[in-house]
Amino acid sequence: MKGSWRQRWRALYHRSSIQYILSLSFTAVAVVGMALMGLALFLRFSASSNAQAEESSQQVLAQVNRNMDNYLRAMMRVSNTVYYQVIKDLDLATEEDLESSLDLLYENNRDSLVSIAVFSQEGQLIAAAPLAGLKASVFPHRETWFTTAMDQIENLHFSTPHVQNLFEDPDHRYRWVVSLSRQVELTRKGSIESGVLLVDMNFSGIEQICKDVTLPYSQGYLYLIDGSGELIYHPRQQLIYAGLLEENNLSAADYADGTHTETFQGQRRSVTVKTVGYTGWKLVGVVPRANMLDNYGQLMLFFLFVVFFSIFLLVFANLRLSEWITAPMKQLDRAVKELESGREPVDFTVNGPYEVEHLSRSIQSMVSTLRHLMDDILEQEAQKRRSELDVLQSQINPHFLYNTLDSVVWMTENGRTEDAVVMLTALARFFRISLSRGSNIIPLADELEHARHYLTIQKMRYKNKFSAQISAEDGVESLYTIKLIIQPILENAIYHGMAYADGDGEIQIHAFREGEEVLIEVTDNGPGMPEELVEQLLSPNGPAVSGAKGSGIGFRNVHQRIQLTFGPDYGLTILSEPDNGTTVRIRLPALDKTAAAAYTYGREGPP
Amino acid sequence: MKRKILLQLVLPLLGLILLFSLLAFAPGRSQREPALLEMSVILREVDSAHISTARQGMEQAAADLNVELRFLTPSSNNHAQDQLQLLTREVEAGASAIVLIPADRELLSPAVEDAGKASLVTLETEMEGAQRYIGVDNAALGQALGQAALNGVPQGGSVLLIDSAPGDNGIRERLGAAAAVLTAEGREVRICCRTDSLSADLQSALAQATADAVVAFEPSALETAVELAWSQGTFPLLYGAGATPLIAAGLEQNAVTAILAQNEFTAGYLAVQSAAELARHQSPDHLEPLPFTLLRQETMYLPENQKLLFPVT
Repeated sequence: MKGSWRQRWRALYHRSSIQYILSLSFTAVAVVGMALMGLALFLRFSASSNAQAEESSQQVLAQVNRNMDNYLRAMMRVSNTVYYQVIKDLDLATEEDLESSLDLLYENNRDSLVSIAVFSQEGQLIAAAPLAGLKASVFPHRETWFTTAMDQIENLHFSTPHVQNLFEDPDHRYRWVVSLSRQVELTRKGSIESGVLLVDMNFSGIEQICKDVTLPYSQGYLYLIDGSGELIYHPRQQLIYAGLLEENNLSAADYADGTHTETFQGQRRSVTVKTVGYTGWKLVGVVPRANMLDNYGQLMLFFLFVVFFSIFLLVFANLRLSEWITAPMKQLDRAVKELESGREPVDFTVNGPYEVEHLSRSIQSMVSTLRHLMDDILEQEAQKRRSELDVLQSQINPHFLYNTLDSVVWMTENGRTEDAVVMLTALARFFRISLSRGSNIIPLADELEHARHYLTIQKMRYKNKFSAQISAEDGVESLYTIKLIIQPILENAIYHGMAYADGDGEIQIHAFREGEEVLIEVTDNGPGMPEELVEQLLSPNGPAVSGAKGSGIGFRNVHQRIQLTFGPDYGLTILSEPDNGTTVRIRLPALDKTAAAAYTYGREGPP
Repeated sequence: MKRKILLQLVLPLLGLILLFSLLAFAPGRSQREPALLEMSVILREVDSAHISTARQGMEQAAADLNVELRFLTPSSNNHAQDQLQLLTREVEAGASAIVLIPADRELLSPAVEDAGKASLVTLETEMEGAQRYIGVDNAALGQALGQAALNGVPQGGSVLLIDSAPGDNGIRERLGAAAAVLTAEGREVRICCRTDSLSADLQSALAQATADAVVAFEPSALETAVELAWSQGTFPLLYGAGATPLIAAGLEQNAVTAILAQNEFTAGYLAVQSAAELARHQSPDHLEPLPFTLLRQETMYLPENQKLLFPVT
């Protein structure tokens, strides 16, 4: 699997352009960098946001706490005023009017007070404001606020919210109050007795302080509990009392001041707690984590957008940058491809960094050197081919010349002057065509003429032991061929086929065109050859073939020259069966004068 | 080159803008507040003071659930024909949610059946055709009242039951159940039917024949009985259903022997909540009949009973 991935990666690497790899690499590195940096920033920012939210919650609670403290202290001041400025200096047995003092204080604080009352230690009402009639069904000394005050005489005691049910009210109003009670010393006829001072605070005063508090993330809320977790104020208090809602107030009573995280009814919440001084009450600020997450969602959205936008800009910049960096390399690559496709000339000049420019100059230099070397090689090859051809052509002449001249001498000695003239004339024309002013390509007509002169000479030498016909299709004679290709065939036919004929030897030369090729067939009715010999004759590395005269080099010579000049599709084909004569077929391209010029070398062009 | 720029710059930029728009304007959790729902509440009585606590619950639910309440009252107490007209008008006007306190189930039944798309929730009286009922088990409450009265009325004694809400409704159901219990236990049951003035009707009934106990089955009748009890030197034992400040005062002053109180705030809240959920095609939780509590003078100030009798304002 690992190997497979590596192979795929390598395949992708090899398929990709350098610009693509550069873009991808730059982008990958940049994206990873951006993502890491963004994540770090996000985490840092969210942590900072959390800390700020906590701090903000604590500040809000601190402010509410100050307001609550002021409110409670105001109530305590009322209580202190009643006690220290009214009750302490008052003898209940005198005519002094306690109720009017209480009324005065009540009127001064009526927004936050429901009632002020003083009870004897037996629970009898001594004075009250604003209502003075105690309900018949009420027994104050059984009430919690009374017993607590009497039990802990040093302190002021705040109750939990309850319905004020002490006084007769013609309007039948039942108001929720928080009672502040304390034990007081009452003077009656000079003697001191205990009593209880009760200040009932309007619950709505506490509600006003806590109600419109805005905690971070707007969905948060604040509630107030006493030390045991009993609800004093909650924005949805009636729902809780009705059992339609629950609050985690009992657990919150155990929380220390500060910010906590709790899970209540499957909801994670951030809870900030602040204890109200003196009373032991606790202000609890609740912010559901879901609201915080919503805020983080907005933050995350912003973060994602910034990251995506940065990535987009980076990708675009990387694409342009890598394009700019790789442009000289691409230009160089294009030049090399043009060179490969054979276009001339190719400009390797590129403007780019030092390395690329150096590379382009080096390639240009290498190409130039290569071209010179190739030209040299081509020239050397041509030279070599000409040399080979010259060597092959040079193999033809010497022994023929010697034999012919020997025949002319013989004829002259025997008085056959006319025959000698004919032979010498034929020999002269034979050599003139052989030379052809140094050209290797001659018209087919000249080649046939050359063969005719050769046959004239040989027939005279062999005393007309054979006859020969030369024919050519119309138009074929104007085509071109390399020279001296028929004569070696004839030489072989004569030496191996006609030498032993008794006047009935026949040699036919026929040239004709077949499509884009020219075929010259030299047919004799000699003894023919076995197949093995035929194969040996054209084999370039074949052994010399033994025979009466000659070595068979002529066949191979012609075959090699044709193939050297025109390619392996051309050359000789020998069709022979023992006692059935031999046909040698010469296959050449059909070349007109223009086409022949491409194959011409020598001192002059084709004649 | 232009095509390249288009592909590399413009298209991705457009994609990013689209992505940002989708993300930025997709409603987040905190923004998913339901659309404002208009809800009609058709009351049974002209003066809604008797259901002030229930009304507080309704308003609390309306605030929580983004509901706008419209309180509709008949021209006179228990006027079923008016209720029928109000209901028909609201349904025809395309009201999506209605809370109804039916005066007469028999008269209103066809209109309730035809309420169609409107999500209709009834309070106090259960009706077939309504999608939900919020309230106590009236028969059980009537039986409990009958049982409470049994304690104060000796065998063979007479109990006057106040039939304050004429028509086929939950109040009548309570009365029937109480009468059955009392009769079964050997008490004489008399019915005081409401005409123009319940107070006069009650006085008349008590003048005709003495009764050991009077039982009222809804707050307004009980308040009337309490006021009559205060105004008279002697008055039979008084039992009833409902919790208002006046009733609490009566209980406190022993004018009322015992009451059966339900949490009116809860009833109001749940009625609006259920109607809103039905209108919004949510499936509200199955609700059991609301509980009720027997309160006497000696138990009325227990912390839990304080919360029941006196809503925090």
